[in-house]
Amino acid sequence: MSQSPALSVNNLRKTIGKKDIIKGISFDLYPGEVFGFLGPNGAGKTTTIRMIVGLIKPSSGTVLIGGKNVQTHFGDAMKDLGCIVENPELYSYLTGWENLEHFARMDPSIPQKRLHEVVELVDMGNRIHDRVGTYSLGMRQRLGIAQALLGDPKLLILDEPTNGLDPAGIREMREFIRFLAEKEKLCVMVSSHLLSEIQLMCDRVAIISKGSIIRVDSVHALLAEQERVVWKAEPLEKAESLLREVTNVTRSEGHLITLYDENQIGNWNRMLVTAGVEVKEMRTKLPALEDLFLELTGGEHIE
Amino acid sequence: MNKLVHNELLKLFRKKRLFVIILIIAALVPLFTYAQYQEVKTTREKLGNVDWRTQLQQEIVDTQNRLSSSRMQDDWRKYLKIRLAQQQYYLDHNINPQAPGAPTFMRVFVENSIDLLLPLLVMVVAADLVSSEASGGTIKLLLTRPVKRWRILLSKYLALILSVSFIVTASAVLSYAISGVVFGYGGWGMPLLTGFSTSGEELVTNTVHLIPQWQYILMEFGLVWFVCLVVGTLTFMLSVLLRSTAAVMGIMLAALIAGAILSNMVSSWESAKYLFMVNLSLTDYISGMATPIEGMSLGFSLIVLLVWAIGGLVVSFAVFTKKDVY
Amino acid sequence: MRKKGLSLVTALSILSALVWLAGLAWVLQDQFFADNINRQAETLKPDTAQQQKEDSSGKTLQIAAIGDSLTRGTGDPDGKGYIGYLKEDLAKKTKKRIELTNSAIKGQTSVQLLKQIQQPQIKRQIKNADVILLTIGGNDLFRGGQALEELESKTINKTEDVYLSNLKAIYKKIRMLNKNGIIYHVGLYNPFSDMQDSKTTSSIVRKWNYDSANAAAAQPNIIYVPTFDLFELNVNDYLYSDHFHPNKQGYQLIGERTASLIHFREEDQK
Repeated sequence: MSQSPALSVNNLRKTIGKKDIIKGISFDLYPGEVFGFLGPNGAGKTTTIRMIVGLIKPSSGTVLIGGKNVQTHFGDAMKDLGCIVENPELYSYLTGWENLEHFARMDPSIPQKRLHEVVELVDMGNRIHDRVGTYSLGMRQRLGIAQALLGDPKLLILDEPTNGLDPAGIREMREFIRFLAEKEKLCVMVSSHLLSEIQLMCDRVAIISKGSIIRVDSVHALLAEQERVVWKAEPLEKAESLLREVTNVTRSEGHLITLYDENQIGNWNRMLVTAGVEVKEMRTKLPALEDLFLELTGGEHIE
Repeated sequence: MNKLVHNELLKLFRKKRLFVIILIIAALVPLFTYAQYQEVKTTREKLGNVDWRTQLQQEIVDTQNRLSSSRMQDDWRKYLKIRLAQQQYYLDHNINPQAPGAPTFMRVFVENSIDLLLPLLVMVVAADLVSSEASGGTIKLLLTRPVKRWRILLSKYLALILSVSFIVTASAVLSYAISGVVFGYGGWGMPLLTGFSTSGEELVTNTVHLIPQWQYILMEFGLVWFVCLVVGTLTFMLSVLLRSTAAVMGIMLAALIAGAILSNMVSSWESAKYLFMVNLSLTDYISGMATPIEGMSLGFSLIVLLVWAIGGLVVSFAVFTKKDVY
Repeated sequence: MRKKGLSLVTALSILSALVWLAGLAWVLQDQFFADNINRQAETLKPDTAQQQKEDSSGKTLQIAAIGDSLTRGTGDPDGKGYIGYLKEDLAKKTKKRIELTNSAIKGQTSVQLLKQIQQPQIKRQIKNADVILLTIGGNDLFRGGQALEELESKTINKTEDVYLSNLKAIYKKIRMLNKNGIIYHVGLYNPFSDMQDSKTTSSIVRKWNYDSANAAAAQPNIIYVPTFDLFELNVNDYLYSDHFHPNKQGYQLIGERTASLIHFREEDQK
């Protein structure tokens, strides 16, 4: 990752009244990666994204898109950006094509043939000439992406891109995002409150809670660090009390879960067996980000 | 900038706003034409005489009779006296102020719709120019383009100016074309008096002069255009400030109707003359009607309206370029 | 198609913006900066002279009514006044179309009437009229309902002198305008004839009527129509609630009497 970052956020703050909404966020994004931006509703995801795309003025800090400051060189910075903030809200009384024409007219550097390219890219087909009011949410999402891609951006920001889509649509969207990053070498930033989504499509993830970023790391590293062991044993109570003497134990649905510690795991098993507990099953488990999140934020809830 | 204005006009056009407004005017004009026709007819029947001079003389006598009644408020009396002097002037100079014909209907129509009807129609266009983008969420797409915010707002404002011009033209053309079926299309050259001004109770006639009706109408439509622009600008400002189109319409509607009511009862509340909605009836200055508040003149009203409009524009641009979009 | 429509609207809008802007500029120029104001105002002379005698031919009877509240019809709930009943009566008698203009003004005194008949339009009406109906003097004498007893005979004499000179001027003016039309001057009655001082008041009104009739006699074709006798008995049955103006019945009496004086040639009769 020696390339120059597609997006660079430095110590971004937003204060409304006396309340700090965003408390100094920094991270860098690089071309070709899908970056997850994860946090519960109200953590500041959308505010941060709106500061990045220039809809909200930061109280302090800078946002550089392709090295250009959004505050001071708005026009240049926006040329490298495509985004959907929240829902893909387009003009419902215009056709999809007219919507694209409308936005293309706002940037003289977009050639006419680019319209056909993006329609091709999102596979809209003939529906592009129907009124947007008649579109399904999935169609609108595609048109939203088409308009975001119009200016041939280096950075694509999608706020909750799978919100409201059916499972097939979600899957399609995921594949499309990975395609854009891998084949088109775009840098895609995806925000979500759905951890499973981020887990499935992102390379790296930033976890935000109460206006601060708690952690930025690759998804694999985060997961590996949090590997666990699931025990199935008889009698369960005895096993639990024995394990509790040596490590943290959580109990769920007839299982016991402990941390995975390569050095200790054999000893713990031996201890149980010698004490007359019948160990029926022992397996390692990659945790869901849910657990991770609970651990990192100290119990803040998330769907 | 051309392309941005094109965008805004396209949206207005495809929202069918202009079309609806044309329909409204086209529906109302026959109504007014019929009313006007009935009025002419009944006056003729009542008098049993088709001569307008007799009719005007009758009006003068009626006015004089009303003036002689003792229970009358001072401002009303003053108004009647001015009206009387003016009617007498028309009569003495053999000028028929009610000469039938489509141009005359246009004139009456525009004089009566300057303070409410046309501003309302303009409001229909201006009210959601910005607020619909905010409430529909499309503003987020609009403001994340490589175009500065002030340019986007300016393009919207230019589109508004063009739509206002279009509405005024549409009302002129429609009122002429439709009423002409009944009243005939002639009468453009009829001389009309203008330049009346009032000073206290006196109708000052030393600046009165004659102009042909076509010029008179052009002047009145110029004033209507100005009024519509001012109302449009203020609606535009509200549209920037508020997310809800309904709220914008509600506030503007209340202001306009308040203006219509206030004009009839503010004669003793002098500072009300600085409110924009009391100053909308600019055509009254041309035709020499009494002003709602003493001390108001065409120049005064024009300046008041101009100040309001500039204020509205400053607020619009200041807020729009700075505000955080949620 | 859509694109063409939009371009058309756009072009039209731009054009109209320019036109209306020009209109606005013209307003400013015309209302504020025109130095040659007033140049036209006087060029258009009253051309009422050309409008004369347009309809005084055989088919219609033109009536011009001038004067005060009696001619206006104050007190008649139907608002007709003696003029209205007179017109109804005449309509029964004649085939002619009756055209009536009522230019009377409530509370008008002889001075004001003299001024009013100088107005070009009133002049025109008088000029065209076959019959001129007139009531005047009531407001000079009674000053809108004041009891006569409050006035000393000296003041009354003085008021009468003024009135008479005005009346003569009015007669003269009308005659000047219209040589042949017949003037019916409807006289005064005494609204206070049932009150204590009825003797005094009646004598004042009688004298007033007598002098007016004399003035009328000095000019040709002026008929002074007496009403004093109509209201002499049972005056309250014929007065409106203000005890001054006639009510419906009172106006009917005056109307009938005046109508009976207006004569038609045989071929015009019904």
